[in-house]
Amino acid sequence: MRPPSFIPKIDPFLLCLIAVVAAASLLPVRGQAAAAFDVIAHLAIMLLFFLHGAKLSREAIVQGIGNWRLHALVVASTFVWFPLVGYATGRLASGWLDPLQDSGVLFLTLLPSTVQSSIAFTAMARGNVAAAVCSASLSNLLGIVVTPLLASLFIHSQSSGRGFDWHAARGIVEQLLLPFLAGHLLRPLIGKWVDRHKKILMPVDRGSILLVVYTAFSAAVVNGIWQVLGPQDLLVLLVISAIILAVIMGVNALVAKLAGLPREDAIVLLFCGSKKSLVSGVPMAGALFAPAQVGMVVLPLMIFHQLQLFVCAWLAARYARTAEEAALAPASNVPQTPEQIAHAAQARGITIPAACSEGVAANLSLLSNHATRLRDAPPPASA
Amino acid sequence: MTSALQIAAQVRTGALSAAAVVERVLAALAQRDPELNAVTRLLPERARHEAAAVDAAVAAGCDPGPLAGVPYGVKDLFDVAGLPTTAGSSLYADAPAAKTDAEAIVQLREAGAVLVATLNMDEFAYGFATINAFHGTTRNPHDSSRVAGGSSGGSAAVVAAGLLSFAIGSDTNGSVRVPASLTGTYGLKPTHGDLPLNGVFPFAVSFDDVGPFANTVTDLRAVWRVLSSRDTDDARTSWHVARLGGRFRENVAPDQLAAIDAIAPGAPLVDLPEIARARSAAFLITAYEGGALHRDALSRDAMAFDPATRDRLLAGALLPDELYAEAQAFRAEYKARIEALIAKFDVLLAPATPCTAPLIEDPRILIDGALSPARADLGIHTQPISFLGLPSLCVPLHRPGRLPLGLQLIGRANREADLFAFAEGLEARGIIGWSKPGVIAPAAKLGATA
Repeated sequence: MRPPSFIPKIDPFLLCLIAVVAAASLLPVRGQAAAAFDVIAHLAIMLLFFLHGAKLSREAIVQGIGNWRLHALVVASTFVWFPLVGYATGRLASGWLDPLQDSGVLFLTLLPSTVQSSIAFTAMARGNVAAAVCSASLSNLLGIVVTPLLASLFIHSQSSGRGFDWHAARGIVEQLLLPFLAGHLLRPLIGKWVDRHKKILMPVDRGSILLVVYTAFSAAVVNGIWQVLGPQDLLVLLVISAIILAVIMGVNALVAKLAGLPREDAIVLLFCGSKKSLVSGVPMAGALFAPAQVGMVVLPLMIFHQLQLFVCAWLAARYARTAEEAALAPASNVPQTPEQIAHAAQARGITIPAACSEGVAANLSLLSNHATRLRDAPPPASA
Repeated sequence: MTSALQIAAQVRTGALSAAAVVERVLAALAQRDPELNAVTRLLPERARHEAAAVDAAVAAGCDPGPLAGVPYGVKDLFDVAGLPTTAGSSLYADAPAAKTDAEAIVQLREAGAVLVATLNMDEFAYGFATINAFHGTTRNPHDSSRVAGGSSGGSAAVVAAGLLSFAIGSDTNGSVRVPASLTGTYGLKPTHGDLPLNGVFPFAVSFDDVGPFANTVTDLRAVWRVLSSRDTDDARTSWHVARLGGRFRENVAPDQLAAIDAIAPGAPLVDLPEIARARSAAFLITAYEGGALHRDALSRDAMAFDPATRDRLLAGALLPDELYAEAQAFRAEYKARIEALIAKFDVLLAPATPCTAPLIEDPRILIDGALSPARADLGIHTQPISFLGLPSLCVPLHRPGRLPLGLQLIGRANREADLFAFAEGLEARGIIGWSKPGVIAPAAKLGATA
């Protein structure tokens, strides 16, 4: 048996993420190269959604669309809990922040969820990808209308809100939904190949996240994030972002527990309900605030965005590891840990209702004792 | 109480009409079942039709069969033509009606018996208590504050109460013998697979068996003869008897041990090796097969299941295939080993349940000094016998005025005739026998006693 290690294990993916941020700070991609990287990142995301479309069965997608309770919880997190937490945090930190950054903190909490990274993290964490596609897309589409409305209610800006953003909606459809549908429609032709090569999804999931982080952070560096921010400002914004993220993730974890969401759906709520979209936020800020204010207003969003990517990457890697450990547990053993039970249930197409979790675990513990007794053969009798 | 064979004798001679018997029984069930909650569906129309056919056969001078005009009931998991087979579950309350009767019901109808009711059970036969969320809890005729045992609790209760002279249940790990012991009736678990299972809702196919209840050995043997179709006139008149030792002499009521020792004072004590391991293997096989059977329904809507069985079935559905294969491999090897060990004995004596019927409001029993759910552990002494596939006849100790307790007479495969003959001797000696439910002595009403 391997002795226990007292040195914390650093996830390799987190190291990659740190390397990418360092690379973006030292060698930010700019100009023509930035445009090319944007295209590559978009293509990677399209490939990711194409493969997920080919991987998911019709039943899983229908089940994902019909998961209204989960979608409602994600939307509530994005447009109710987030603004409340943002408002409270902004009030508490008002003396520490420039008034425009204060507005920026509130503004970021009114934004819709990210789509690409929420789904990529969900996939990486072995969550319910079909439901994440629906939840994140719904949140993003709603945000086009709801965010400007909430902003006009809560923020006194120089510019008024604008109407439905058809450009943003088209982006979601072209980049996410069309590749997903194409992959799914081609499932009869390529589904078996994708099922046989499931491992191909992991580098695509992780690679697309790294590309998004690199291009986003490069843009922030090119826009002068390190020039505008002093170390103290950066620290305050980081602390505020961390508080908002921690509270929202805590609320979502608690809601998932209270609502009895299975592990796969709880992952969706955590990743889709705890994130804010930089892609949607920057153009919306441009529309809602005066041009001179936009830079300062989007700063909290840029900080928050980086932080959420780091935290979610770490969490997704952690979820992935526990799921892998559950999958690697000897197949002949009775599943006992929540991860092992979730893995066994998923393999058999069963969802364990929350009301049954405790009872099922207790029964499996009893059956595990029986399995131990069955395998505990007495030594052969001596002659 | 009139025995099945007494009713049949009078109907066959025309001294009594089957129609009159059926009307009397239907009225008694309607009047007394509310206190027992043993009946899930009364079948008056069908019963009158079958009784009329028996009376017509008698009038025409034809042989109406050995059970002519005898009313009986079946556990709610037998196919009854024209009715949905619910297996005690609301999940199947609106299922399509069965097109034909279960094979056992066809054989009994051909023998002249008249089906009058379907009877309560634990949902999907998974339990030893007959505490059912859909149909309610069946009460023990000897003390209505106590369970009747399960899963064939409704079948046992109507017979023990004297409302029907026989009924049919099913036994997977003790579901005939446990309620027979707790209600004071006779109940047979046959040699595995000997009685017809066609048209019976399965639970765990490795152990499922059909089994009858009755209040006398002769009635039970008559019903078994109809269902078994094996020649039974070769019963022994002397027997090599052994008492089961080890775990079978732990978690036992003193009266059961005293009775076993009185029945066969000089008989050897046979210790079945690895009995705890065998019971664990039985638990795993049952859980796996039960879970696999209901996997699709569990994946559609687990919450529609009875809370008492839902978590157990879900857990069973998650058991790995490899573990099931290991348990089955051990079973095959164990059976061969034990059959060789007990080959020279005709009858093995063992307790049927570890105690008397527990209270409905606190259905727990003492196992190894700790309280344990009756639903899972009342079968501690029956489950290892099912694991071996041997026939086991549960007989009630004769103890009027006290809560019932039963013993198992375990025989060799396909030697039920020896068990009936041995039991008749015990009945004649007054050691065993049905007692009419009546007032239970206050001292006997204190909790489940072991």
